[in-house]
Amino acid sequence: MADRKAELEKKKAKLQAIREEKERRRREKEQKDAEEAAQRTAPADKDTRKELDEMLSSLGVAPVADVLSSLSSVTSVGTPEQSFTATPETSLQPNATPVFVASQRKKAPQLSVVSVQTTSIPPKETVVYTKQTQTTHAPHERDGSDSSSPLKGYYEDWWRPRKAQTFGYYDEYNLNPGLEWEDEFTVDDEESSLPYQNKLPPGILPSGLPQVKEIEPAVTQVEQEAPKKEPKTLQELSEDEKMMIVLSEDFQKFIDRSGRLMERALSERTDIYTDYTGATDNEDGGDEKSGNRLSFNRFFFDERWSKNRFVTSLDWSPQYPELLVASYQSNTESPHDPDGVCLVWNTKFKKTTPEYIFHCQSAVMSATFARFHPNLILGGTYSGQIVLWDNRVQKRTPIQRTPLSAASHTHPVYCLSVVGTQNAHNLISVSTDGRLCSWSLEMLSQPQDTLELQHPKNKAIAVTCHAFPNNDVNNFVLGSEEGAVYSACRHGSKAGVTEIYEGHQAPVTGINTHKVSGPMDFSHLFLTSSFDWTVKLWNQKENKPLYSFEDNGDYVADVAWSPLHPALFAAVDASGRLDLWNLNTDTEVPTATATVDGSPALNRVSFTPAGTHVTTGDDNGKIWVYDVGEQLATPRHDDWQKMMCTLQELKNNQADDEIDKLNLGSGPSSVSSIVSR
Amino acid sequence: MNSKASEVEDTLKRIQSHKGVIGTIVVNSEGIPIKTTMDNTTTVQYAGLISQLSDKARSVVRDLDPTNDLTFLRIRSKKHEIMVAPDREFILIVIQNPAE
Repeated sequence: MADRKAELEKKKAKLQAIREEKERRRREKEQKDAEEAAQRTAPADKDTRKELDEMLSSLGVAPVADVLSSLSSVTSVGTPEQSFTATPETSLQPNATPVFVASQRKKAPQLSVVSVQTTSIPPKETVVYTKQTQTTHAPHERDGSDSSSPLKGYYEDWWRPRKAQTFGYYDEYNLNPGLEWEDEFTVDDEESSLPYQNKLPPGILPSGLPQVKEIEPAVTQVEQEAPKKEPKTLQELSEDEKMMIVLSEDFQKFIDRSGRLMERALSERTDIYTDYTGATDNEDGGDEKSGNRLSFNRFFFDERWSKNRFVTSLDWSPQYPELLVASYQSNTESPHDPDGVCLVWNTKFKKTTPEYIFHCQSAVMSATFARFHPNLILGGTYSGQIVLWDNRVQKRTPIQRTPLSAASHTHPVYCLSVVGTQNAHNLISVSTDGRLCSWSLEMLSQPQDTLELQHPKNKAIAVTCHAFPNNDVNNFVLGSEEGAVYSACRHGSKAGVTEIYEGHQAPVTGINTHKVSGPMDFSHLFLTSSFDWTVKLWNQKENKPLYSFEDNGDYVADVAWSPLHPALFAAVDASGRLDLWNLNTDTEVPTATATVDGSPALNRVSFTPAGTHVTTGDDNGKIWVYDVGEQLATPRHDDWQKMMCTLQELKNNQADDEIDKLNLGSGPSSVSSIVSR
Repeated sequence: MNSKASEVEDTLKRIQSHKGVIGTIVVNSEGIPIKTTMDNTTTVQYAGLISQLSDKARSVVRDLDPTNDLTFLRIRSKKHEIMVAPDREFILIVIQNPAE
């Protein structure tokens, strides 16, 4: 009840407000009427002008100009007689009830330029439509005709106060001669529609019922577009045309680019729709990573390009640390394929295909990213040529190569590296005849500098591997086929071999210098691996090895320091064993060991630049990626200190051995286990 | 020349051989299929509709920022995932079943 009362109250209040509003409007209207009366003089003035025009036209001067210049005046001028005849009828018509008047008038302000559009509507329409539509339609036309008149603004204001006024029509008619009724208006239309249309702004279509017309074009446009496209898609290209497109440069580039992109996208297996609200049972292995572990992650292999090929080298892009370049030996089982292959793999994406494929005519023995040119990859070949690939070019063959001449290499190039700085860097290559060449990447036609690396007894050194200590551009270490290790320098009066490190009994396969920077500098340390089943740790300042790791039972093929942990290194052997040694934990046995599936002979090993993964290449062309357990991979702050202690202990043991040997003659060289904690 | 054509074939074959891939289509800018692994009617349907969609998507991206451009489009549906790599002249469409 209370609600209802309140509602009634509200309604009453509303009614009151409406009444007040009406009162106000009436007053306004009266005021406006007065204004209009004043303005009515204008049409009279125009009447005379019309007469003048007629006179002019009779004399041959076109009054059209006048009509054009002010169409509004024409309408207002031309109609009075007609409206006089018409209005009595309309006002007498029963449909001209106040309700309709009101509704007409309400709409009036929205009315726009469409009045002339009546022309397209047959007069019949008025008969067909209900009275209501007729009346609501009428103002459109009337008002439209007025819309361009100077009185337009006035009308808009003028309509409103008339709302719901019973006597409004008479006033309206009397006061506003510009107001006509449909039937006579058609007459007016015939006269003025053309010039009037011309005066319409572009884009406004002269047609009836604007509401209908406005929707129509939109519909037809869509319909027109759709059928236009359909036949297009249906039309097919002939095989020849398709072939033309496929062979076009643009298409090749497109496929190269988007194919790579698509493969990456396809390989991402993350399910973004994972729903954790449901009970799932795949919550496993929380502590899997916690231990000192080496766990298999993935392998890189390409059926066509890497199968049956020895992995000869691995290198990481300095600009994009996820990119790994691997070079491969020739494939003896497919003599028609190019001998040398170089593949760029991406460790970031799960896609299993190589990012880039490069090849050349001679087996690639070593490959490296051109350190300051992110797009270039360099390869040292068996023939002695150095080749240069560019991944910006749609070419798998080298874009440049050094000539085969006595001025450069005539033996296989096993060692290749770029040293120096952004502005002053060289490519250093060493071939197995002991010749070192330094090149400028801008000019590969001839080496800038050559150096013969010779044994003091004037014997050429068969260099198998080399390494530059961190940031050093002058001094480097070499491993040789005869088992000796050398240090050498490129420049200065003593250019050439400076030191000999004797220790290995068989060819040296790998050499690696310590590269972790930290509170202590260990860059004088380097490791070598050899066919004599050992890995040896050296100090550049001493001719004897600091320590020999003798846990392997096969050829040790390569060795690599971790880029993160000062005491960690990896070694691989021909029995498929991948070992991680942490010198601070144990020097007798490896800290972590993994045997690669199928026990292939592993040939190369390398840490990722972040130091969290270790990659190794085998003799079948597979590159295996292993995760290094976090505890193992990341150093603690005291690891440098510990490393120092370990080295000291190793040295002491070495000294003890010497003494033992001296004292006992042939005492067993027992290296006590050193475990520093 | 032939080796280049075979490179294209290789790439498409590789994509097609991915687990869950239902079809691979290459269409030109007018929506006419150039390469496909699907039957004719399906191809024509996908080609026409996806090229329209990618045109629209591109215009959305460009309208929002005229210096920007559309590079990739993934449409995830209950049954499939349609991946679209549009380029200036061609569009690569891959339809896959992500559940597999």
